Amino acid sequence: MANVGMTVENPLVEPTLDRVAPPAVLVVFGASGDLTSRKLMPAIERLALRRLLPSGFSVVGVARTEMTDEEFLDHTRKMVDEEHTDDDDDVQHVWDAFAGGGFRYVAGDYGSPETFVKLREVLEDLDRTRGTAGSRLYYLATPPTTFETIVRALGHAGLSRPVSEGAFVRIVIEKPYGHDQRTASELDAVVHSVFEEPQVYRIDHYLGKETVQNVLALRFANAIFEPIWNRRYVDHVQITVTESLGVGHRGGFYEQAGALRDIVQNHVMQVLALTLMEPPATFDADGIRDEKVKALRAVDMYTEDDVMKDVVRAQYQRGWVEGEEVPGYRDEEGVDPHSETETYVAMRLLVDNWRWAGVPFYVRTGKRLPKRVTEVAMQFKDVPHLPFAVSQAEGLDPDLLVLRIQPDEGITLRFGAKVPGQAFRVRSVSMDFFYGAAFLEETPEAYERLLLDALVGDPTLFIRTDEVQQAWRIVDPVLRTWDEDDVPLARYEAGSWGPHEANLLLERDGRHWRRP
Amino acid sequence: MSSEPFPDVGRAWTIGSWEADEVTVAQVEDALLDLRRHEQWAAVRTSVLTLVAVVDDKRSADIALDVVHELGARHPSRTIVLVLDDEDEGASGRGNLDAAATVHVLERNGTAVSFEEVILRVRGKARHHLYSLIEPFTLPDLPVVVWLPSSLPSRGDPLLAAANRIVVDSRAVAESGGGGDPLGRISTLTRRLPVTDLSWTRLVAWRSLFAGLFEGGLNRPFLSGVREVVVAGNYGPRHLLGGWLLARLGLSPAIVHLESAPHASIRLTASAEGRMGRFVVERPSDERVIESRIDIDGGPSLHQSLPLQRQWPAMSLARALTDMGHDEQYQQALSGALLLRGPRTPRAPSSTLAGATER
Repeated sequence: MANVGMTVENPLVEPTLDRVAPPAVLVVFGASGDLTSRKLMPAIERLALRRLLPSGFSVVGVARTEMTDEEFLDHTRKMVDEEHTDDDDDVQHVWDAFAGGGFRYVAGDYGSPETFVKLREVLEDLDRTRGTAGSRLYYLATPPTTFETIVRALGHAGLSRPVSEGAFVRIVIEKPYGHDQRTASELDAVVHSVFEEPQVYRIDHYLGKETVQNVLALRFANAIFEPIWNRRYVDHVQITVTESLGVGHRGGFYEQAGALRDIVQNHVMQVLALTLMEPPATFDADGIRDEKVKALRAVDMYTEDDVMKDVVRAQYQRGWVEGEEVPGYRDEEGVDPHSETETYVAMRLLVDNWRWAGVPFYVRTGKRLPKRVTEVAMQFKDVPHLPFAVSQAEGLDPDLLVLRIQPDEGITLRFGAKVPGQAFRVRSVSMDFFYGAAFLEETPEAYERLLLDALVGDPTLFIRTDEVQQAWRIVDPVLRTWDEDDVPLARYEAGSWGPHEANLLLERDGRHWRRP
Repeated sequence: MSSEPFPDVGRAWTIGSWEADEVTVAQVEDALLDLRRHEQWAAVRTSVLTLVAVVDDKRSADIALDVVHELGARHPSRTIVLVLDDEDEGASGRGNLDAAATVHVLERNGTAVSFEEVILRVRGKARHHLYSLIEPFTLPDLPVVVWLPSSLPSRGDPLLAAANRIVVDSRAVAESGGGGDPLGRISTLTRRLPVTDLSWTRLVAWRSLFAGLFEGGLNRPFLSGVREVVVAGNYGPRHLLGGWLLARLGLSPAIVHLESAPHASIRLTASAEGRMGRFVVERPSDERVIESRIDIDGGPSLHQSLPLQRQWPAMSLARALTDMGHDEQYQQALSGALLLRGPRTPRAPSSTLAGATER
């Protein structure tokens, strides 16, 4: 299904080596934008340096700014140069290869059919001169408001289906995918009126991260974790996705989004799904995605009362982060001085299935917290009976398994141990494992990995339509309740671990947030 | 050996070393423990394997050690370098063993990893019982990889019993005059345990680039209509590349020709749907550039010139150590290479070999 048009397997491909992308044109909408110069183009350069792009591989940039092909190439090269540190000679080779007609630019409005007529001509020309054979990867690196326009236009221009046998046409769509469940469905309807689902690659760069994939390795390559990965042993789970940064220059965008849409609906839901899911029968795209969807479907739906009780939203105020005084959210550039947008969300989720019934999942995410951390912490139940005097076990906390996703990727196991000496005293100790220390292999950057996957036709690490729907199903009632009711917006000082209300959320259950 | 820095290793430094002549294994073990005990940096050791390098002289030992230092940054391991000394124990009346042990720490992204190396200079009869020296030093339960930079083990070498994997270099063996038919001997070895041939590892760029020419379906039909393949290169590389194509594409040895050349190249001529196509991957000169060409009658003529990263010995070794299983593709390439290298003994020829030529 995924490899639309791929008929016979290539007998020379070796499963242990990275696959070279087939000849194709990468069409980037939003070519003059930030994402293109900071992420996409450096990824293209890295792929070329690793010899994973075939001869003839070409890039077409589409944007409103007027530019010639040469100007686009020069502009891109300049932006990429700022990002990397690679050997200059090698880099020169890569750009020389593109300079021979492999870098094209189409200026125009996304709403104008003319733009797409021009695009079509360029694509046909590339097929003739560079042997790209009708294969295209469209990449929507544009603001979400343009997604539908571009998708429809590609359909009208007849650019959404492969024109020859063996060719492929795929589209990569950046987040946010919809603004809520309704708009996500509407976007999906438009996308599906033009593209088949297997052509659609919804990207969440979190899934391209090595350590997110390591959650799967840890869970399903080891027999010792799976038996305790359930309600019998797990007391509760804390998922933390925090940043020390504020909104920076994205104030205008963030005002429309907020932490729930920006982080919870996508990154948090992906990490949650990988933590909750049952072992897949196969490790292919649908094997894994089927289980993720099943897991998300089991997440309990919030009622309005639940939202009031189990979800905390908050906004940062002035404070000190990493030794610097930082402004409050309402004082940030592009932010309404009376803004009610949340920069922090804490929530308590329940999962209705045999594995997880009764185990609360506490999620928190926010900006301007003390440090950047992504982790899943699984706290195990207390021992049924502690055969020591309380005084002997004062420093003893319940066992804990932490999957650290960033920045110091690895796992930590906390358990009790005897303090050396005559007296019998027990304390918690922790054992760390750093992935980076065990295998110091170069790991590809998330965008590099995902871009190659999309070119080769492997959708495993992309989000399927039903996954998006399930993620919105969980988040949507919260958005609605916040819109409709007068839900208080809590405040927290920048550089703190969040508002008092978020602490109460756990204290109510007799628990507390761990300090990551 | 290499003055350029190994890419992206982070910061490495030595936190302690120890050296003594005429020692026992127990003394070396104690010294290692001592070195670690007093260093907070060495409190946590993260290791993925024990690497054993066997070399013949001081010079080879230094070369191997350079590689190991660079490697330590990628595959934290305990390394044991065994230097086989020609001197007889009886000659000087000295003990069997001199030793040096060093503990290094590498810091990268704020994470410190410690790794150790032990150099054992072995004299006299102990040279024939190396396994007994290795066992005490292997890390518990982790794979033991034996690396022979330019030699091959003899058939019954007990060293093999201690190894989970053996790393050799068919080209280096041939160049050091290491005795007839290295590929044949490696093939025998693969029946016993997983083998990595660094000559094969170094060909990754050629293999992946050549395979890439047939991605996307458009050129794939040509793989069913191969007319001729010419592979050039040194002893080892050319046989393996030729053997790989022979085996993976199911070709007759009669249409696969091998040529001697300083750099590897593959030229394949094929037809599909009445059109002829020529597919080439080559390194044209000493410059670090690898080129690919596709030339199809009536179709676009495509040429690509790409940087070929410097072949660090440590990089090849690091890559080799990433996969711990049998390498199917290498096995097939090796079987193919044996067909192409021609008969070794007068009794071996079979009809399929008749057309295989080395020109």
